Amino acid sequence: MTTRSGESSPDTKTDSSNWTIWLRTRIEGLVPPGQALPDRQPVYVASWIYVFGVMTLAALVLVIVSGCVLAVGGSAWWHVSSLGHFVNSVHLWSVQLLFGFMVIHLWGKFWMAAWRGERALTWISGVVLFVVSIGTSFTGFLSQSNFDSQWIGGQAKDGLNSVGIGAWFNVLNPGQMLMWHVVLLPLAVVAITLIHVILVRRHGVVPPLDANLEG
Amino acid sequence: MSVLSIVAEGAGRYISWGVIQISVANLTIIVVMVLVFILALVLPFPSSHGDKSDEEGRAR
Amino acid sequence: MTTDLPSAHPAGKRVDSTPDSHDFPTRSYDLVKEFVIALVVVLVLSVGLAAIFSSPDEPAITMSGWAKADPSDVISTAVGELAGTTTSATYGPPYNSASDGQKLGPLSLQKWGGVRLPVDSAGLVLDPLSNVSKDPVLSAAISEWKAATPEQRTKWATEYADAIGSPAVDGEAATGAGGDPAKVAAGDYGPVPALSAAFLGLAQTGGLEGALTSSGNFYGGDSTRSLLLLSDGAYLEDQARAMNLAGDQWGMMNEAGNAPGQPWMWLYTFWYQVPPFSTSDNADALVWGLMMLLTLALVLVPFIPGLRSIPRWIPVHRLVWRDYYRSVKHS
Repeated sequence: MTTRSGESSPDTKTDSSNWTIWLRTRIEGLVPPGQALPDRQPVYVASWIYVFGVMTLAALVLVIVSGCVLAVGGSAWWHVSSLGHFVNSVHLWSVQLLFGFMVIHLWGKFWMAAWRGERALTWISGVVLFVVSIGTSFTGFLSQSNFDSQWIGGQAKDGLNSVGIGAWFNVLNPGQMLMWHVVLLPLAVVAITLIHVILVRRHGVVPPLDANLEG
Repeated sequence: MSVLSIVAEGAGRYISWGVIQISVANLTIIVVMVLVFILALVLPFPSSHGDKSDEEGRAR
Repeated sequence: MTTDLPSAHPAGKRVDSTPDSHDFPTRSYDLVKEFVIALVVVLVLSVGLAAIFSSPDEPAITMSGWAKADPSDVISTAVGELAGTTTSATYGPPYNSASDGQKLGPLSLQKWGGVRLPVDSAGLVLDPLSNVSKDPVLSAAISEWKAATPEQRTKWATEYADAIGSPAVDGEAATGAGGDPAKVAAGDYGPVPALSAAFLGLAQTGGLEGALTSSGNFYGGDSTRSLLLLSDGAYLEDQARAMNLAGDQWGMMNEAGNAPGQPWMWLYTFWYQVPPFSTSDNADALVWGLMMLLTLALVLVPFIPGLRSIPRWIPVHRLVWRDYYRSVKHS
């Protein structure tokens, strides 16, 4: 069973210089057909532990949405508006939920040895995502424009300066930290999340340890 | 804002045990996470549409 | 049947005995519905928690707030900047070359970062003062300071700092004037007393806010110099310590008041509480290095023998897949 490539003429199918065909083929080959949004899962996917990946994803959506609302008002809005303060609280608590679900998801994946069956990259991208999320939340704390930001910046600079990073990444510069928090790091989080989820769909949910298929 | 809302006034409540010192808030979060993890493992997952008749062969 | 998708399913190229998940019997599963339910649950939880617990907003310390709350600290800090003895003055890279900074074993990582954010600590005091006009006493003091040699300046400032001294603390006797500039004994301190008093006055009247921007123009946004000055004083840390936010109080994990902090930082902050880190001058570099190593180990778990076998030795997975194992046993 081959995938139809539409109305392309015979000679373009094998035309290796066509970038569009190359890209389309790569994209279509990322996951097995029908597995990008499958409506069936292997029978062993039957435990509450499996919901924490999607819970983390949902929390990330809410973090981004509440962050966007904060962006509408600007970085000082939450100090002067009770609505702004409430949105800030939603942003803070959705971040707490994000980390809570993410860590439970990590615990589950560890005890299921979910890196088996050529899924090492799925595990690696997940841990990298965890670390980048920590960095993102850190720049968030620096962007609060209150005592917390002053203290955290003053403390964190010592850690980062001690290994030379502080010369480039200045935690005492709120202008820089805010832009990392709102632009650069969320882009990284979303990109790595995309890679992680594509890998999960590509390989499918890892089978149970010692599972054997008879016949 | 609710009566319980946090407007920081100095240190909150902390628990000390040897070198370990943790806020009640953080400890609560960690305990709740461990509980949720354990519940996720032991609580039965509804095989909603699922009984044997719903199973098919391979995914494709 | 399996499609030949070499990128997804290389035939025969299996490095462990894990079967292909796509070869198992399946059941109906609605991913989109699951995601929407997750979204609703997270929304309800976040909004609920936000409504009940809110979020802390401890106001930033202003220069005038600092000056009013702890004027002696402002004076001592100003004198320290002039004497070159404050934390920022002796920091090293990225602010100056006063020291080589911390090392990670033999690696002088702090030094290798370079002095890319140059800050003149004495300038933290003198620059705002130089902008003050119509104060002949201050102008004379600034002129006297500028005309003196570096050795003379250091001598004045150091002797004035010693004369101010510090209050009695934890069984140690008070030194100098016990930390009170008003009670300092007579001596040759040059223009330092006038400079530091003028600096305090400027701070108290709000003239220091925004006066130390590193941005170089009207628009702020880079608070490096203001924060270094604030961190050179004792007031900022005193406030933090009162809220359990100091490094040796597991502060990295904590938040002001009863708000939840960052529990996921537990391991990072743990090392600062115990020797050898708690007593080392290179604590920051050592902890960073250790945490990078442990993070790398976490990233590479699939490849680390022993570590990757723990899930087999402690079979938590038998709970996850109990239905499957049971059905396999019965078939």
